[in-house]
Amino acid sequence: MTVLKLNVLELEKSEYTGGKSSLCPGCGHDQISNVIIQSAWENGIPPEGIAKMSGIGCSSKTPAYFLGKSHGFNTVHGRMPSVTTGANMVNKDLSFIAVSGDGDTASIGIGQFVHAIRRNLDMVYIIENNGVYGLTKGQYSATVEKGSKKKKGSTNQQAPIDLCAMAINLGCSFVARSFSGSKKQLTALIRAAMSHRGMAVIDVISPCVTFANNDESYRSYNYVKDNDEVLHILDYIPHFSPLEEVEVPEGEFGEISLFDGSTLRIETVGSDHDHTDAVSALTAIHKAEKGERHVTGLLYYDPEVPTATDSLNLSETPLVGLSEEMMRPSEDSLKGVNDRFRT
Amino acid sequence: MGSALGKKRAMGRIANDFVINVATANGTGSQSSNLIILHSMFEMGVPVSGKNLFPSNISGLPTWFIIRASDRGYQAPGDSTNIQVVMNKDTWAEDIEKLEPGTVVVFNEDVRLPVDREDCVALGMPMTKMARGVAPKLARLMCNMYYVGALAHLLEIEEGAINKAVASQFKGKEKAIELNIQAISEGRAYAKENWDFESQFCVEAREKDPATYLIEGNEATALGAIYGGINMLSWYPITPSSSLAESIIGWIPELRSDDSGGSTCAVIQAEDELAAAGMVIGAGWAGGRGMTCTSGPGISLMSEFIGLSYFAEVPGVIWDVNRVGPSTGLPTRTQQGDLTLLYEASHGDTQHIVLIPGTVDECFEYGWKAFDYAERFQTMVFGFSDLDLGMNRWETAGFQYPDSPMDRGKVIRTQEEMDSIENYGRYRDVDGDGIPYRTLPGSGLDPILYRGTGHDEDGVYSENPQVYHDAMARLRVKIDGARSQLPPPVIREEEDKEVGVIFYGSMENTIVEIDDILEETGLSVSTCRVRALPLHPEIEEFINRHEKTIVLEINRDGQMYGILRREVPAELVPKMHSVAYSDGMPPRARVYAEKILEVLNEVDA
Repeated sequence: MTVLKLNVLELEKSEYTGGKSSLCPGCGHDQISNVIIQSAWENGIPPEGIAKMSGIGCSSKTPAYFLGKSHGFNTVHGRMPSVTTGANMVNKDLSFIAVSGDGDTASIGIGQFVHAIRRNLDMVYIIENNGVYGLTKGQYSATVEKGSKKKKGSTNQQAPIDLCAMAINLGCSFVARSFSGSKKQLTALIRAAMSHRGMAVIDVISPCVTFANNDESYRSYNYVKDNDEVLHILDYIPHFSPLEEVEVPEGEFGEISLFDGSTLRIETVGSDHDHTDAVSALTAIHKAEKGERHVTGLLYYDPEVPTATDSLNLSETPLVGLSEEMMRPSEDSLKGVNDRFRT
Repeated sequence: MGSALGKKRAMGRIANDFVINVATANGTGSQSSNLIILHSMFEMGVPVSGKNLFPSNISGLPTWFIIRASDRGYQAPGDSTNIQVVMNKDTWAEDIEKLEPGTVVVFNEDVRLPVDREDCVALGMPMTKMARGVAPKLARLMCNMYYVGALAHLLEIEEGAINKAVASQFKGKEKAIELNIQAISEGRAYAKENWDFESQFCVEAREKDPATYLIEGNEATALGAIYGGINMLSWYPITPSSSLAESIIGWIPELRSDDSGGSTCAVIQAEDELAAAGMVIGAGWAGGRGMTCTSGPGISLMSEFIGLSYFAEVPGVIWDVNRVGPSTGLPTRTQQGDLTLLYEASHGDTQHIVLIPGTVDECFEYGWKAFDYAERFQTMVFGFSDLDLGMNRWETAGFQYPDSPMDRGKVIRTQEEMDSIENYGRYRDVDGDGIPYRTLPGSGLDPILYRGTGHDEDGVYSENPQVYHDAMARLRVKIDGARSQLPPPVIREEEDKEVGVIFYGSMENTIVEIDDILEETGLSVSTCRVRALPLHPEIEEFINRHEKTIVLEINRDGQMYGILRREVPAELVPKMHSVAYSDGMPPRARVYAEKILEVLNEVDA
């Protein structure tokens, strides 16, 4: 007899898996896909309630490799946020889990990224950030650090766009950075992001094993492992099982209550980072950048920002669920409209 | 100076057949005055039309408003001006210089510029000075009401009609109504006392159908969308479509609120047109009715998304209120220059459904029908209007309530429905009409990852040559299937099938006059107004029945002609001749009539 491991919805993990990946063996993106599968399963999100969104690029292919029981949309380059916005407007009950790359988010789609944050769109926005354009064979992207060098070609001379700093400046309600190789931290962050209501941006450094995993690349496995400035240790405690095994830290720790009642426990690791303070978060980012290091953890969190649909005073029922009577005003009302123009 | 010329007396009265041109500066409130003249004449049952020729500017640049009264129902700007109102010093000399002899010139004396036309009738009034007496601080705006009074006197517009038009223009603002009526009355009285002149032209009351009213095309489209169940409006401001979006926004609280006051239509002002199109696709993908409105530059930007909608088969509605291109072009002028762009927007082989209203009633009708077509055919549907139709006021006898329930298309909503379909695949044509079934996110029914990349009948990524070929062939079958389901052309046929004129859109408002001008030369033409793309089969039959066909349109290249050439059988092509002309102005009948005659002469020669 086999004992099946089931989540709170009594679903097996296989209900959350997807197709076989076609990415390069060892790609950081596949590790992130696995964490998304694990997180959605552990959080007990009904697969049919999830909408997977992506743009174009290596990262944006991955929705084919996770959550096969969920609808998804692999849209156009850099424009995933607008498609997500439209879908969210008519069905605010969907849980949007989006993956995007650094080409998508920091270049062609930077405008849509900015405005989705500005509206506080209710979605998890994971950036699989490797600093290169993989599908077109390894050109630098706009997030690569000055001084970083990919496997072939010259050293990058341009200053990077830091997507977390940008998100914080825009008032994003949940901003984190992680590393595809830090499974525990990444899982806690993605699970917390799934429990958050509003825009949760997670910038995940995800090495490109083919074009930029050499030691001179600031986004190679070795470099990130050696230069990871971890802000804190994170533990996610789901609302349905507050007694789930959690190591209680000995030192100082704090807790964040998330929208769905779950908790993110934060154990401070030597730094005095305050995730409620944008200046503290930006300082941590700039310090790390100066030291040619990567700061990871929950950088900024503000649960008070109203979401895009909150501020529109929409019908309680998601608009896709409205009857024809609710969508088409009565014949009498049109008579009234005509009469008003007549006088 | 006005009094010397003003002694001329007019011969014989001409009722309800004249053109007034009002030259003012943008942002001086003259639009209110012009609309009061328009509406007061409409109140008296006189067929009247107004064209606002405005600049791309907030304040200060010249603007003209052309009002035409015509018992024959002509709505195009006439060939010449009968009464010219000059208020704007910047265009003063030019406005006066181009007038034909005998034109009546009503001018503001306080501008202190000459009317050096011995052959015209110059009637001056100290409008600014008089306006200061009524409302010192508002004199710049109020002085425009004096020419309303002047015209009311000259044309014998009834006081009751004027008062009603003022009340309707300043709805509920009692003080404004009172002041403006006072100014108009003073203007009328001044003209009566000081001008020793009787105008040849006058307004004569006709029986007014109490059901009729005037409305802008954009507002008609907006109401259509409201009654079409629009769930999401995304938009980026652009002339001349902004008033369409703003009108929807204006009507939502009253017409689209649920019992608890919650809105049943989300509105997002997008960061650009690309995002607006993406939101429409997101809404359609999720099962809602999404729409955006824009003009040519916006369509150019949206093109990539339009291709996604076509290939991934996601419903959506985009209204293009055409302005003059290419590029930024003439943002406040009208054209039918986007037709080809809409029909084939985006790279690769694409073809889209385009609804082409010619009247405000059709703006309303296609406003709601566009959503039905979009969901039926699971694709982007365009509404094609233009600045002339969209931003000017046209007559309706009242909009008709939708005569069919909403068509939500082939959406599988339950497991039972799913089970009843044999061999379901998101992109599998199980009925032979080219339209596959779809399921919605959140339903848990056979989910797929939608994509703009190649996909097989189950929605799985594929680069297989046969799979791609078959998918594209099916899409063609699907869109071709729309031809006979879209609004058929409106055909008016002469017994003698010598010449047929094919036209579309806002040219509807000029065609009667064109037809009459041609008739004067002994030429009787049949007409066929195209109301949708892809072309309805009846259009080909119309061409077939006539010896010669003129394809008449407001652009340079003959875009509809190009579409027809490609789509009708080769043997019909020699029968067709293009008459295409565009200068940004609303079409003037004589210009197009003469061009038709020229082309026919060339053909016969």
